[in-house]
Amino acid sequence: MIRSRSLGVALASVLLGGGALALAGFALATATPHQTPLTCTPVSGKAHTCSVHLSTFPDSLEGVHGASGGPHPDWVTYSNDNVVVPAHETIDVTIDQYDTGGAANNPFFDNVIGTNGGFDTVNGVKTTHVGVNDIGHTFTIRGIPGNGKTLFVSIPLPANNSNKFPVKLGIGTYPKPIVVKFSFDTGGPTVYEFNCEFPCGGSRLGNGFGEAMSSYGYMSGTFTVQ
Amino acid sequence: MATSSGKRSLKTFYYSWGILTVVGVLLAIWIPKRYMPHMMSNDGNLSVTTMILFSVLAAPVAAGVYAAAIHVLRHDRYKGDGVPPAAEQVRENTKLTVTWLTVSAVLTVFVLVWGLGALAAENSSSGNPLVVDVTGQQWVWTFAYPGTHVVSNELIVPDHREVEFRVTSVDVTHGFWVVNFGVQVDANPGTITTIHTTPDKLGTIEVRCEQFCGLNHAFMDAVGHVVTPSQFSAWLASQPARA
Repeated sequence: MIRSRSLGVALASVLLGGGALALAGFALATATPHQTPLTCTPVSGKAHTCSVHLSTFPDSLEGVHGASGGPHPDWVTYSNDNVVVPAHETIDVTIDQYDTGGAANNPFFDNVIGTNGGFDTVNGVKTTHVGVNDIGHTFTIRGIPGNGKTLFVSIPLPANNSNKFPVKLGIGTYPKPIVVKFSFDTGGPTVYEFNCEFPCGGSRLGNGFGEAMSSYGYMSGTFTVQ
Repeated sequence: MATSSGKRSLKTFYYSWGILTVVGVLLAIWIPKRYMPHMMSNDGNLSVTTMILFSVLAAPVAAGVYAAAIHVLRHDRYKGDGVPPAAEQVRENTKLTVTWLTVSAVLTVFVLVWGLGALAAENSSSGNPLVVDVTGQQWVWTFAYPGTHVVSNELIVPDHREVEFRVTSVDVTHGFWVVNFGVQVDANPGTITTIHTTPDKLGTIEVRCEQFCGLNHAFMDAVGHVVTPSQFSAWLASQPARA
């Protein structure tokens, strides 16, 4: 009697533990980005081309993180962490850069990499790199291990050092943005990650990769090609 | 001293040991070939050989333990109620002790010598390697080729030429792991660590970070290719000059 009771308790424990693990696994597997997808808008007059428009802000007051900037109103952020674009198309990307900057950890990220033509435009001027001490953020897309995709696009976004703040968005005020434009081809359907490679996320370990750089939804996100 | 019934029951132990050893040896040969990455360097091949050899040597030891467990569970399990009476104590068996210690010592010394030899082979250099400066940062690998203008997010190396990786990090500790070369070493900030290998097959390679390094650690990989020497030269020449 005692043995069968112990066996029952042991079996129930194993089943409960297995169920908890399965539930956690299901929750992780079905987790999705929390922001409304930023989709690609077809460009009139250009076949197989669409455009997306992002921004980088020095704080989270603009609105995507909720009223009053959400839980971390002082964290830097992209304007969306969930970009969705079509496969086998050219994507025209525009990024409005509102934040200040400095030097990246690695000068490799001062360069424009992976765009059509190997360049971008900064306020309409064609360029291939940004000065070593003039990086505000980067917009870096790369493949996810194991999916066989090799897309790598990295754009240095120049620091915006203006001390005038005429632009009002949400409850925040910002300088006139530096407008960076570039395009690249998506290839087949898959999901990429994008993030910033400039140490803009607070001082964890003194390297600037804490806070906004170590939390999804601020300086990183998914770039879905479908 | 075993009784006649004890000797008979030991037959099941020996049969179990033999069968489990055969199964273990077969698995030790099959599993690494089936599930380890496709190796494309001398060190990668050595890693697979070492894995197979050590597993084959360990198979009879593990099989002996399992066979003994099966034997005692089958023959010596106490089926009564309450506390079982004390079993007959076997205090010494010189032949078994000497055999066990000798075999264990020989196996241990062998794997030690083999392992040190494999480690030395991984760290040795032929004298004219292709140097690649590897930089890890949250969460991207970059590869620079000293003496050229090339810095890339892809690792391209020529076939059948020794490569010396000089590995460092600009932020936290990363783990530089070229999966298909069977080499890995930590990328530490402020320190350059070198490791050598010689690619011996053409094809695609994968580089991963194997030290947890932050939010996007799981996505910190890079692709690369082992190409012919002429393709490597052409690739270097085709790369844009970066600031």
